[in-house]
Amino acid sequence: MLRIDGVSYRYRNTETPALREISLAIPAGGVYGLLGPNGAGKTTLISLLAGLLTAGNGEISLNGQPLAAARAANPRAIALVPQDYAFYPMLTVSENLRFFGGVLGLSGAEQKAQSAAAIAFARLEQVVGKRADQLSGGLRRRLNLAIGLLGRPQLLLLDEPTVGVDPQSRHFLLDAIAALPAAGTSVIYTSHYMEEVEAICPQIAIIDQGQVLVDGALADLLRSPEPLLELTLERPLPAELGERYAARHEGALKYCLRLPSTAALPRLLDELATAGCTVLQLNLGQHNLEQVFMQLTHRSLRD
Amino acid sequence: MSPRLLALWLKESIALLRDRHGLLALFIMPTIFILVMTMALRDAFTPGVSIDVSYSVVDLDHSPLSQALIKRLKKGASFRLHDEATDLDSARRSLLNGEQNLVLVLPKEFGARLLTPGGTDGKPAEPLTLLVDPALTPALQLAFRNQVMAALGAVRADELTSKAGKLFGLPVAPGASAEREWPDEIRSEAVRNDRNARLPSSVQQNVPAWLIFAMFFVVIPVSSIFIIERQQGTLQRLRAIGLPFRLILAGKLLPFFIVNQLQAVLMVLVGIFLVPLFGSEALALPERLPLLLEWWAVSAAVSLAAVAWALLVASLARTSEQATVVGGVGNILMGAIGGIMVPKFIMPAAMQKLAALSPMAWGLEGFHIVMLRHGSFVDLMPSLGRLLAFAILSLALAVWLNHRSLAAQS
Repeated sequence: MLRIDGVSYRYRNTETPALREISLAIPAGGVYGLLGPNGAGKTTLISLLAGLLTAGNGEISLNGQPLAAARAANPRAIALVPQDYAFYPMLTVSENLRFFGGVLGLSGAEQKAQSAAAIAFARLEQVVGKRADQLSGGLRRRLNLAIGLLGRPQLLLLDEPTVGVDPQSRHFLLDAIAALPAAGTSVIYTSHYMEEVEAICPQIAIIDQGQVLVDGALADLLRSPEPLLELTLERPLPAELGERYAARHEGALKYCLRLPSTAALPRLLDELATAGCTVLQLNLGQHNLEQVFMQLTHRSLRD
Repeated sequence: MSPRLLALWLKESIALLRDRHGLLALFIMPTIFILVMTMALRDAFTPGVSIDVSYSVVDLDHSPLSQALIKRLKKGASFRLHDEATDLDSARRSLLNGEQNLVLVLPKEFGARLLTPGGTDGKPAEPLTLLVDPALTPALQLAFRNQVMAALGAVRADELTSKAGKLFGLPVAPGASAEREWPDEIRSEAVRNDRNARLPSSVQQNVPAWLIFAMFFVVIPVSSIFIIERQQGTLQRLRAIGLPFRLILAGKLLPFFIVNQLQAVLMVLVGIFLVPLFGSEALALPERLPLLLEWWAVSAAVSLAAVAWALLVASLARTSEQATVVGGVGNILMGAIGGIMVPKFIMPAAMQKLAALSPMAWGLEGFHIVMLRHGSFVDLMPSLGRLLAFAILSLALAVWLNHRSLAAQS
């Protein structure tokens, strides 16, 4: 269990804190999604967890032990897979793995076994002798991930691990990451791709402007007592109806309305007909993460 | 041995072996420089060697004394007599065509007025004329002029002796002394600490000079790897693993120190075996073990200074291009003022003082103390001390820059 209590962080020479009083309880044995737009504070939080930065105030503990003490007791407990291709382009895949294994303190049979396991996990068998700068974007991401797994960490911090990869490699990476908890590695996964987080993270937190807007089980966040209704109309929605149903204008003549319950739908359709608004398209359903985020911040995730 | 340090050393070594441009700059460039510069500067470092400057003499007098002067000039080994030109016009043409560099014109009545240049009739003797190629250096023009003056003095003394002999009834043939082979009355001797004195050759100057220059070029591979590490987040990953920055620096020091020592071995071999194939003298290393150890101490100190300088440049530069410019230009400047490209002894006095600021000059001075003056370890201390102080200061600055950069990010 990773616990973050009231952690704030402000970079030097900046007015606005990057993180403000963040508190999260991240359970072990899962993939935990940290979702937020660019500049939300995700990478700062990951850097604090990786030991690259030190929190200004607040506390972070791993399994009940302060983070620094936990790292000192087991330097391999937490591993970081940065957003960049953080390896040596002039070395081969196996040389990179041997090097990072070496600096992790692995040697002999243990190093060989760990390298082999990482290669197998990331399916790099075909390219072990190839120089890293000759790999495709997807294979580089896999190598980046494999290096992170060399020390068999308890907690793996993945910072935007699918940026710039083709859809096929993205699916492979997501499947691989989703399988990690079963192998004993918990994952904190940051992304601004909501589809990815929805696909592999049972627990999430949404961060914006250095604050946790919401956190909890993904299913709970998407489940809303108030069904969402997406409407595309022939003419603009009358202001009085828009106000009553908390409508959000989503471009052109498309609106998103919040219904008190599904039973309210026939009445709304009558009112629209009375107002002379022909409904061209109607979609009644659950929230998705994009909608949850927009409800919370009134901004798009990719802004 | 720490497995972490071993991994760092292995990584640096493989990365360097795959860096063709870096290897080219470290091993091929200095080899070429040593060969070319040793050939080019061979005569500049060899006293008494004939200077490849030719001259001709136009003898308008055709007297025994003018011929005696020509014979005297021929004895001088420094300048090469091209021919005795028949007339002034053809001599001027050959000067303009670049066939020779100097023409000495002996005027009519040269012999008759040799002992009375002021003229007994109130009319001064016509002077000797020296036609010169304007491209010839003033130093060589002056040297030839002095040689003519010396020969003229000798012929004049012979003639006086002859006249005095006649006066006293002694049989002296005119110009006879010009035929005699006079021994070289001036011997050059390098001052050093043992008796086996001999002046340094071009190869003894150029091998250490270009070795030092090449050692400092580790700045290219060191900075290129370091900047890749910083730009691609690898340094960040290593920090997240818990690798201290000083260990990362130590991981770079030893491989490049070894590379520098390999350069030293290669350049010495080039000096001993390759340079003689191109007609120059082979490099002579000191034969006694203590001097060889001193030679290695200088090589090690230069290497530490070079690698530390490279790490400082790598810490300063944000991009590979910046590192290439700062490191490359910095090296060329240090080489230029440090007596690598242009030997220090031909620099003006002010530039020689400036040379004292260049770490390359400290290294070259160290090698010269060992190779040319066979100095003791105590004699080497100033050079070694400066190089090591430079290395420590550069490393400290590199560490401080890294901490400052981290502080700025945090």
